[in-house]
Amino acid sequence: MRLITHNMLQCHVKGCNANNFPLELQEVVLEQEEAELNEDFLRNMLGKLEYEALVATCLKLDINDLPATLPADAAYNDEFLQILHRVILETHIKSGKMICPNCQHIYNVRDGIPNMLLAEHEV
Amino acid sequence: MPQFLIQFAQQHEEFRLPELEALATIENVRMTYNPDAYSLESPFLIVEIESAEKAAQLLNRAILIKTITELWGTGLSWEELIDRVKEHPERWPQYLQVPFKFSVVGFGGTIEMKDKPELIDRFAFTGFMGKIDLKNPEEEFLLIADYGIDPNVKIAHTFYMGRLIGHGKRDLIEKFNVKKRRYIGNTTMDAELSLIMANQALCGPGKLVYDPFVGTGSFLMTCAHFGATTVGSDIDGRQIRGKGKASIQSNSEQYGVKDRVLDALVFDVCHAPWRRVKGGLFDAIVTDPPYGVRAGAKTLGRKDPTKQATGPRMAVEEGVHAHLLPDYVPPTKPYEMSEVVADLLMFAVKNLVRGGRLVYWLPTVTEDYTIDDLPTHPCMELISNCEQAFGQWSRRLITMEKIKDWDGQAVALGPPTGDMNKSTTNPKQQGHFGFRDRYFAFGIVENAKRKKELKEAYHKGGPAAVAAYMKQIEQKKKEEENQQQE
Repeated sequence: MRLITHNMLQCHVKGCNANNFPLELQEVVLEQEEAELNEDFLRNMLGKLEYEALVATCLKLDINDLPATLPADAAYNDEFLQILHRVILETHIKSGKMICPNCQHIYNVRDGIPNMLLAEHEV
Repeated sequence: MPQFLIQFAQQHEEFRLPELEALATIENVRMTYNPDAYSLESPFLIVEIESAEKAAQLLNRAILIKTITELWGTGLSWEELIDRVKEHPERWPQYLQVPFKFSVVGFGGTIEMKDKPELIDRFAFTGFMGKIDLKNPEEEFLLIADYGIDPNVKIAHTFYMGRLIGHGKRDLIEKFNVKKRRYIGNTTMDAELSLIMANQALCGPGKLVYDPFVGTGSFLMTCAHFGATTVGSDIDGRQIRGKGKASIQSNSEQYGVKDRVLDALVFDVCHAPWRRVKGGLFDAIVTDPPYGVRAGAKTLGRKDPTKQATGPRMAVEEGVHAHLLPDYVPPTKPYEMSEVVADLLMFAVKNLVRGGRLVYWLPTVTEDYTIDDLPTHPCMELISNCEQAFGQWSRRLITMEKIKDWDGQAVALGPPTGDMNKSTTNPKQQGHFGFRDRYFAFGIVENAKRKKELKEAYHKGGPAAVAAYMKQIEQKKKEEENQQQE
């Protein structure tokens, strides 16, 4: 699971509607895997990402490459797009836990696949 | 504007014009044609496009187009065709010196080999002097005789002459051939339709495309092939994980789209964890909801709501909540087709960008189907509705486009959904309501014994006996279900 996907997920347990994003990563095993730079896609996603949450998540994982705030010229800043690409598309969570900051629900990631199913009392 | 002759594949006929329209949108090609001149029975359509370059763009990813030809003339006989072609000598000079060849083709009939050279000679007035190169000509000129699809008709009725612009990408069907795919399941969509769906969804570079019933990931592959970035989810994690080295991931490696297939996640689309993005997260949703013939749709919860836990359940091991165990699988209940479709439409309304498309399959019982069966929403416009018929039932590829932002209020509209027995005030049900049960009732997949019994019943007592027999079967099924629940 790539870091970009993590940025698109929130806790969805019944009744858990506030402070449910971003899911806190714990005990994660990361892996870097090279991918072709896709500027069109990055530009499309700039407005869809929660950038602050992304930076905060990265810092907890000791990934310090992203600037604290989104550059004003992000869409055409080659250097920035390259870093963003490496962080959100080339960084994979192979295993670990994603914990809701609000209700503490634990979503497990195994073999790179996140299990976002809810228990029967949570739907 | 110059005219071009499109020759479609004589396959999935209802899908051809919608795909052509999608291609024109994707490639930004302005195109006009007379819809009345088009028939599902003929593969030919004459269109007007501003230039040959623009016409060629339509071929970049066309699945249902075989060829596009710059039309130099058409007639009801070879003589008339020749007269028409002679009216535009200004077209010829630029091809006088280039290596070329002529091809003579018949549709729905054969032009004998021995007659071809003579036919080609009749076009010598064009004065082409270039080298004749049968293998790698710079230009290929086509003489086409259309005999129509009726095999009894032995005489061609329309003749065309033109300069070949190029071929569609029908070879992709072979590339994505399911038989050569490393990882497939029993509901994997065939290659041709998966590719057409990617076109219908206007997939292209930069776009984010989602399949909420991802299964073995066919659409993640075809949509990514055309440049989109794709993501999928499924309630059944086993499908996503695959077996050993065969998985969605291995397929994305096989097709060289690994970088653009983001992830596949395990969850129920009724309880989707996507963060709500203002303006919409997805540029398209492309999916084949499980309609319960080979794999029944499931959603989280218990069939009997009174048995559903309201708090964490304890596992057998003392002091541990069952849902925290690593191999916990939450209970699921059947998910009625009409609900699946209504929920899918609402999901699209909430999560698509404006201009984004929803492309999905809807199964219908042919006898009961009416256009009103399609669920609608004020934010979604129907772009096309193409039927693939299987006799008593069909499936329809529905393409919708989000035309305005959701106000947070409007819900999906359609004929009444829900339990047929309960809603007696609304006798009309959607053509896909209870689809699974009715599909099985057709006897398509019933064993031979049952069919035989049904026949015997009919011979003995006519329709009444058949009804009684069906009732008996239903009774048996109910008993089996009750036993299963116990």
